[in-house]
Amino acid sequence: MNHQSNLEKIIAILQDICPGVDYKTCQTLIDQQILDSFAILSIVAELQDAFDVYLTPMDIQPSNFNSAQALTALMERKKAGGK
Amino acid sequence: MSFVSLKFVLFVLVAVVGYYNIPKRGQWVWLLLFSYAYYASAGFKIVPFLLFSTMVSYAAGILLGQVNNLPTELEHRQKRKRFILIVALLLQFGMLFALKYAHWIFGNLFSLRQWLLPLGISFYTFQSAGYIIDVYWEKFAPEKSFLRYALFVSFFPQLLQGPIGRFNRLAQQLYEEHTLNWTQIEQGIQRILWGFFKKMILADNAARFVDEVLWWNNYQKYSGTVILVAILGYSLQLYGDFSGGMDIVKGIALFFGIDLDENFKRPYFASSIADFWHRWHITLGTWMKDYVFYPISLSKPMNRFGKFSRNTFGKQLGRALPIAVANLVVFFLVGVWHGANMKFIVYGLYHGLLIALEGLLLPYTRAWDNKWRNLATLRTFLLIQISWYFDRADHLDHAFALMQKTVTDFHITDFWNGTLFLNGANRIGPWFYGILLVGCLILYLVSYYQEKGMQLGEWLCAKPVAVRFMVYLILLYALPALGTLSSSSGGFIYAQF
Repeated sequence: MNHQSNLEKIIAILQDICPGVDYKTCQTLIDQQILDSFAILSIVAELQDAFDVYLTPMDIQPSNFNSAQALTALMERKKAGGK
Repeated sequence: MSFVSLKFVLFVLVAVVGYYNIPKRGQWVWLLLFSYAYYASAGFKIVPFLLFSTMVSYAAGILLGQVNNLPTELEHRQKRKRFILIVALLLQFGMLFALKYAHWIFGNLFSLRQWLLPLGISFYTFQSAGYIIDVYWEKFAPEKSFLRYALFVSFFPQLLQGPIGRFNRLAQQLYEEHTLNWTQIEQGIQRILWGFFKKMILADNAARFVDEVLWWNNYQKYSGTVILVAILGYSLQLYGDFSGGMDIVKGIALFFGIDLDENFKRPYFASSIADFWHRWHITLGTWMKDYVFYPISLSKPMNRFGKFSRNTFGKQLGRALPIAVANLVVFFLVGVWHGANMKFIVYGLYHGLLIALEGLLLPYTRAWDNKWRNLATLRTFLLIQISWYFDRADHLDHAFALMQKTVTDFHITDFWNGTLFLNGANRIGPWFYGILLVGCLILYLVSYYQEKGMQLGEWLCAKPVAVRFMVYLILLYALPALGTLSSSSGGFIYAQF
């Protein structure tokens, strides 16, 4: 699956869990407290199912969750077997 | 040495003057000396516990750092790390358990509490444990110098009641060289004066009424109306005491050029219980979130439960259920953190249940709460008041008895027939209510403008010197004139934890 379709898939998940945010441009999902811990864990559950990866507490960093792009990069790293 | 004492003012004065007049490379050593002197002033016999916690977490950090440097593909690397982590956490929390909780389970036979409960032990244990877990997670390399690490655990302004610091945000500030910055000093003075305002004028004044009415042996003398007012007074007392203490801690740290994490952000403006915990004792909440809530939620059994729950109950409920379970565990621990007493466990579970319920109902309540934010804030405030019954009561039966009396012995006429002034030796006059009402109005206005994003400290700093001087002078005069001084637990409720 290419990068663009991964990004679109993640934006769809984000919209489903926390609607009403422009995920294409927003880079401060954690810094501006748009996503709370409840939303983060819902997103993690969906991402794990959708990408067949396993996330650990170490992955829950603002830098990984601040934007749809950062989440896409995280998923791609995980798929490639990296940290 | 209480914050509210001349001795402490002199202690800080000497520390600050010396800090900026010794060679800069020795500033962190100076802070370490003063930190241990401060802790020892509460009794030399409690110092070994602080040292033990420091040594265990320091050694664990070093050992974990060595294993972290091994190649990731090496067999047993993860097992070794986990072994070090478990032993270190068992030692850290074992000490806390023996001192704070063992008497509750085993009686006094196996407990050290009968001899002493070191001040601030819950705070520095959690701070050290957080460091160990962060090194285990390879968030940063461990600190190599024992003395530098010892300062991170013992920095004196935050030692007794937090905030619970994180190594990656606090340590570098402690070790780097600082030049005297008068703006920062003035901001520190502002925070300290504001803290003393909350502590002495609001919290300790309110305590006179609260302690009289809610005491186990006394409450039956008073009507439900008086008890309700006392609970509202307790919410003011607790907030003023703890957040005022934090303002003082932040202010003192600013004198040394150190910016500690905020522990309070206007909690009574919260629009949900989850929001309340983003604003109340923030550093305990984020500690629990990072080191308990996420690890439980992302554990393999919880993942399996999550999948089962989504398949069985559908997407919305299925997502929320595992989070609700993890929340209950977290808030059970928050309750236990407050003390070895069933009332604290019920207090924690009450909050955990409400947050779980909020999570489950979120899809249905989100739109309503966004539209009627003030009503959501009022609802949250009232739910929080119920939890204060558990927090303030002497024990669980006392909490339920207070609740029962509030409901069954409530008389609206008590608000204007003089009952609230109490009678006899403990009579409280209109002057008391006047001070508290004006104090609350000032607190509300300041909080309101802060909530709107206004930086009141910076705004005041931009005023002419004469205006600022007058404001500080008025506050300085008002504190002893209108305030009360409590003598229990070194002056602050949370120093007991």
